[in-house]
Amino acid sequence: MERKEVAFRIYRYNPQVDRQPFYDNFKIAVERGITILRALNYIKEHLEPRLTFRAFCQAGICGSCAVRINGVSKLACTTQVWDELTGSGDDPILVEPLNNLPVIRDLVVDIDPVMEKLKQNYSWVRPAIAEGEMGQKEHCVSDGEFEAINAATDCILCGSCYSECSMTEVNPRYISPPVLLKAFRMNNDTRDTLGCERLGQVSGDNGLWDCAHCYKCAEHCVKHIPIVDGIHRLREEMFERHMTRSEGARHAQAFFDDIRSTGRLREATLPLRTLGVVKTLRMVPLAAKMGMKGRTPPFVVKPVPGIDRVRGIYRRLEANRAAKQGGE
Amino acid sequence: MKYAYFLSCINESMTKEVDLSLTRWVKDLGIELVNLEKGTCCGGSNLDYVSPDHFLVINGRNIALAEKMGLDLVTSCSTCLMTLRRAKQALDSSPEKRELVNGHLAGEGLRYNGTSDVKHLLWVLTEDYGLNRLAAKVTAPLWGVRFAPFYGCHILRPSSLLGRDNPTAPSSLDRLVEALGGSLVEYGSKNKCCGFHTLLVAEQQSLSMTGNALEDAVRAGADYIVTPCPLCHTALDAYQDKALDGRGVSRNIPVLHLSQMVGLALGYSKEELGIDRHMIAA
Ligand code: SF4
Ligand code: SF4
Ligand code: FES
Repeated sequence: MERKEVAFRIYRYNPQVDRQPFYDNFKIAVERGITILRALNYIKEHLEPRLTFRAFCQAGICGSCAVRINGVSKLACTTQVWDELTGSGDDPILVEPLNNLPVIRDLVVDIDPVMEKLKQNYSWVRPAIAEGEMGQKEHCVSDGEFEAINAATDCILCGSCYSECSMTEVNPRYISPPVLLKAFRMNNDTRDTLGCERLGQVSGDNGLWDCAHCYKCAEHCVKHIPIVDGIHRLREEMFERHMTRSEGARHAQAFFDDIRSTGRLREATLPLRTLGVVKTLRMVPLAAKMGMKGRTPPFVVKPVPGIDRVRGIYRRLEANRAAKQGGE
Repeated sequence: MKYAYFLSCINESMTKEVDLSLTRWVKDLGIELVNLEKGTCCGGSNLDYVSPDHFLVINGRNIALAEKMGLDLVTSCSTCLMTLRRAKQALDSSPEKRELVNGHLAGEGLRYNGTSDVKHLLWVLTEDYGLNRLAAKVTAPLWGVRFAPFYGCHILRPSSLLGRDNPTAPSSLDRLVEALGGSLVEYGSKNKCCGFHTLLVAEQQSLSMTGNALEDAVRAGADYIVTPCPLCHTALDAYQDKALDGRGVSRNIPVLHLSQMVGLALGYSKEELGIDRHMIAA
């Protein structure tokens, strides 16, 4: 069995005692195949009993052991020490608490903010079955119906995506990826009846349209759930339900309209069409400065050659859509 | 080496210097870029919310135009790259979607077959042309200049779609800097989000993202940030004063497009490369 001395550099902080966080270094002999969680357990048992972290199932199911390993949010129980060795294998492995959440102690963070957001955003099924008939009547979900939400139901609420999210990092009130994923999952559950209401709730301030589509959440989801596809699907649903009065929806609509009219985005009027007059006026000073450098987009955009073909595509697609809606 | 070149809306309006600088030097390398004149805006990861079918047909058409020329499609914008590749992945994995798209393209004599790849200019240099060959062409090596490479999001993530660099430890742009003689600073923000896509709907939050990246690069001691994406450039350059406002950062930091950095190393002047058009003087 391959065995190696491995250095760990672990974040320590007890807010009740320590003035500020610090790092502790440990060196332990580790066999290939050992997980980060088992290494942490070893350190706690043999070297530093006060080291605090959270874990339960040790099998990637409960979601409680998520930490940042070498800067990336992961489950300690499914991540192998060997896979985290960098440099010539001698660099210490950095273990830190999740980002974007308050530290309770060492590697343990307070996940209440996530739970609060889940509660605020109807992250459960409101079934069609009347209260009185609950437990007596079945509401079956077919395999085909389940397929649409299958991946999303794998979420174990570990908080890794929350920790990685670019928008949550700069705005703690942002709805956050696991909550958007839940909204997608519930809105596409055939038993649910809350569609519009939930969508209205999640698309408010600090909500659905604030996602910067940086894809960090999906990239680092420990269950490989395509979270951003779920976010996209929610935005599509906003249009399907004609809930298009937000700035985010108007912004998307502008792209759609411009491709039909010229084939090119008309950036000059994009702020106006997204934000309206008042907020656009605030942008005038920067626009004026950019104008002096020749960086303001033109107000008149020449259509691309062959724009008639593009408009033809739009006409036919819209006719198809109208026919489909008429047929429903 | 010949490619179809995707005209990105922002490079035709706010960041004209990308194509300006590119045209200066591509011929020096024997690379021919044929503009995709009939191509349209890719919809910038917004079109599909309004209508997923429009997204597929419009971008299937963009790629089919390149296929008709028998060329791979190259872009200088990371979001165009990600958007076009998203459409390509959807079409390549679904005969039904291809049929939908081709039904709409037939009248124009176009057909989406999936034969053209969609690539970023950076990949053309690092993979197709090769950095050793490029290094041999350098006439004005960027010795002693410290670059903070800023990758941004859509050339890295989702990696299942882009699949070149490791999104947590990207290296392609770093290697390009080194091939041109420049040196690198290490800083944590190189693969973070510039905030551009939410600048209109969540300005303050976006500016915090932009400001964090800028501050990080300044503190690391970089002379320049260099980026492969004109949207990142706009956030980092045009919005720099706003983003750094109140942060107590000691200085501004000029931001170069990848095409300008290559141009400098190949001996072109700042004016020839449109570097004087930036909001932050270089
Ligand atoms: S894609 Fe949206 S939700 Fe996901 S990490 Fe980025 S900003 Fe957050
Ligand atoms: S979506 Fe993935 S990363 Fe986010 S909480 Fe669920 S399992 Fe964890
Ligand atoms: S301990 Fe349960 S997921 Fe790691």
